[in-house]
Amino acid sequence: MDREQREDLARRVLAFSQADQTEVLLVDRDASLSRFTHDAIHQNVASADLSIAVRAIAEGRTGVARTNVLDEPSLRDVVARALAIARHAPADPEQPALPVGAPPPAPAEAFAEATARATPQLRAQICEDIFRAGEADGLWAAGYAATERGGITVANSNGARASFDGSDAAANVKMNGGDSSGFAEAYDTDVRRLDGTLLGAIAARKARESAHPRDVEPGPWTVILEPAAFGELFSYIADHFSALSFDEGSSFLSDGLGRTYLGENVTISDDYAQPLAPGMPFDFEGFPTKRLALVEHGVARAIVTDSYWAHKLGRENTGHALPAPNASGPQARNLVVSAGSKNAAQLVAETKRGLLVTRFWYIRTVDQKKAIVTGMTRDGTFLIEDGKVTGGVRNMRFNQSILEALRHCEFASELSRTGGYSYSIVVPAVKIENFTFSSGTGF
Amino acid sequence: MSFDSTASRALDTASARGAAYADIRFEVARTERIEARNGVVATLSDSTSRGYGIRALVDGTWGFAAASDTSDAGLDRTAARAVEIAKAGAAIARRRFGEAPPKAYADVFATPVHRDPEDVPLNDRVNLLLEAERLLHAGPQIGVGRAWIDLWRTDKYFYSTIGSKIEQSIRQTGCGLQALAVGNGDVQTRTFPGDIGLYASGGWEIVERAGLRENAQRIAEEAVALLSAPQAPSGVTDVVLGGSQVSLQIHESCGHPAELDRVMGWEANFSGVSFLELDQLDKLKYGSEIVTISIDNTMPGGMATVGYDDEGSRSVRSDIVRDGVLVGYEMSNDTARLIGRDSNACVRAESWEYVPMIRMCNLNLRPGEIPFEHLFDDVRDGIYMESNRSWSIDDHRLNFQFGCEIAWEIKNGKRGRLLKNPTYGGITPAFWNSCDAVADAASWVAWGTPNCGKGEPMQSGRTTQAASPARFRGVRVGVGYGG
Repeated sequence: MDREQREDLARRVLAFSQADQTEVLLVDRDASLSRFTHDAIHQNVASADLSIAVRAIAEGRTGVARTNVLDEPSLRDVVARALAIARHAPADPEQPALPVGAPPPAPAEAFAEATARATPQLRAQICEDIFRAGEADGLWAAGYAATERGGITVANSNGARASFDGSDAAANVKMNGGDSSGFAEAYDTDVRRLDGTLLGAIAARKARESAHPRDVEPGPWTVILEPAAFGELFSYIADHFSALSFDEGSSFLSDGLGRTYLGENVTISDDYAQPLAPGMPFDFEGFPTKRLALVEHGVARAIVTDSYWAHKLGRENTGHALPAPNASGPQARNLVVSAGSKNAAQLVAETKRGLLVTRFWYIRTVDQKKAIVTGMTRDGTFLIEDGKVTGGVRNMRFNQSILEALRHCEFASELSRTGGYSYSIVVPAVKIENFTFSSGTGF
Repeated sequence: MSFDSTASRALDTASARGAAYADIRFEVARTERIEARNGVVATLSDSTSRGYGIRALVDGTWGFAAASDTSDAGLDRTAARAVEIAKAGAAIARRRFGEAPPKAYADVFATPVHRDPEDVPLNDRVNLLLEAERLLHAGPQIGVGRAWIDLWRTDKYFYSTIGSKIEQSIRQTGCGLQALAVGNGDVQTRTFPGDIGLYASGGWEIVERAGLRENAQRIAEEAVALLSAPQAPSGVTDVVLGGSQVSLQIHESCGHPAELDRVMGWEANFSGVSFLELDQLDKLKYGSEIVTISIDNTMPGGMATVGYDDEGSRSVRSDIVRDGVLVGYEMSNDTARLIGRDSNACVRAESWEYVPMIRMCNLNLRPGEIPFEHLFDDVRDGIYMESNRSWSIDDHRLNFQFGCEIAWEIKNGKRGRLLKNPTYGGITPAFWNSCDAVADAASWVAWGTPNCGKGEPMQSGRTTQAASPARFRGVRVGVGYGG
């Protein structure tokens, strides 16, 4: 369904409502993914759906109903259900009016027709390019190539109208050897910029160079985290920038804005227009998303809000709402950590003894307030001696405060987009002193 | 509701396009979530999602396409898309993984429900949560109180080209409480029941059994007490784990590594592989002799309890670890064939939008012989931990580190003072071999997990690990806090 069709549908659904205020959110998505292992695709999938969520507010009471059945009786029913369940909720004195704003145009690069029209044959070609890159070294590949297009329309009875069409593509690979592995990933809104051969070659080199890994002792290490590793680590403080976390006291920022929490070289923003990850210029209430400096030179400057939390805390609405109903609060969806001045190779060259980490796995919060997390290294962990990478090491578990790490770090000059199933983020590689490993493994 | 004619149309289209086998799974999912937070209803939502997924097998390679468009044109387009996807994969395949199910079934299954949640007025459902949440505010240090109910109903209709026709109506219910206390420069959380709430297949009787109102004040008081409790110690000591934490331990260190697709490298780039390699089958001493862990997708109340899995295999009971020895895996038709076994029906999809894959079954630890209170008798110096707060395990499922919300020291066989921030870690087989006591069936609870992640695209799975509290000797504790 194109933008005009979605907006027309939203108008029709709004017209059915008898609530004091009504919001309609339409999400139209068609996503495909070709997943491979042992150099063959074993999960090859595509899914298409269009769903409608209706938020009805009556006398300060809110109900939300959703459906993906689009005939007129079902559309009338979803509107009626939203209002009916709203009448069972107690009134919330903090509930503001549904917001109205004028979102700016989306970044032009947010949508690529080539991605929207990608075929299973194109994804298979990316996979095959990856397979070939490992053949010479006798490595087998596991990973995926994915493409998707999505359209979002938000409209409310107060006059808000916002639509966005986006696309995205991604590929990753773990190359597997006898006693080592290597990882590479790429994300782009335009599938034509995904290079399977390059990804395969990077992952194969890492698998090759980390073969016959040696043991190193756990303890404090100087580490250089490549973007995939740093991005995953950093994602575990993303919710600290939410007004909800700030208000409930579980954020490291809860002691107040304007204070220095991190190193002087740390600047963090939320920016939907970052060229590596161009995204939606409004939130799921249809309100314009502000491009924010959250931390500048280590000093906390802002938190993200939505209409509810802006009203509750008496702050500006920054346009970071998630789809209603949302008990998790507003979220920064486009985090960017600013780059430093030296490239990653220089950071390695300046390291007397340290570890180069490709990727982390299964990071979990151990202590929310101190932002202590634990996790494992995987798929390419290397020893650095006298400024040179000298071979692979066996994987280790770390326990580390992210805040402490960001007080003793140096960023590389190149930014990369990295991600996982729950986040997308733009970060540089980073060098961190006294990063604490607590135990090892036999692989 | 019958999908007979639409199923025939889709399967005929897939066959005509070149599928050697195809199946289609229609689903109508209805979900309701209510969440009270700090005196207001933060979530009151009701969702309906209807659609279907088609699997097509071409030249030993699978294709899958899903859509919500049930028009004739939509069905034709989606069936053709599944076949086209399969052909694209087959064209570059160095191996053929696909295997059609060997047996067709025609059957009906429905979750037993003692009290239909729809018979409980919505006002009563909302008021129960508001009252329970109000009781969480036991003092000014409670910064956040939360109480929630999830009601899920999924009707599935499965058809295949070998003649299966399976209709299932699955009902699942969950509820819980959480108190977050803030003070002394610290934040502490208590959750009830267990660390996620109580989730099971069934109806409103699960909410009644949970006892939200009856336990709210105690949970909140524990959260506040933790703010001033001493830090749990670091070192090596004996540990008693509460039942929900044993459930989590089974889930992470047995449930996932025993998935045969992981063992075979099918999850290598994301969820990881497994130390339970094929040459360890019937040999590896996974745990002590009192450790028996079994699949049972027929058990009442299990979150994975169904009549048939999502590729049409009938639910069974089978052992993964018997008397401490690895004897089996969780399997699909594809993977079982590769080791010369039959599927034990462990294949499910999150919803109609997702491809079925091996998901954790109900996987239960056999209860022991002694009452829970006697687990402490033989402990001179140790820690009792309850309710998971943090969980991390490596991509081979060996090196783990878990943290709990609350702990008590054990001195000379008695439970002593409260401790905060307890953590423990180890290596999976060494840990399970250190298990020397499992509490009896009186404290055996089917702990449901509603949000187990796996696969790409990521799928959220529902599973149960039933367990009693258990005792482990010589465990490393305090990791993450100096240990």
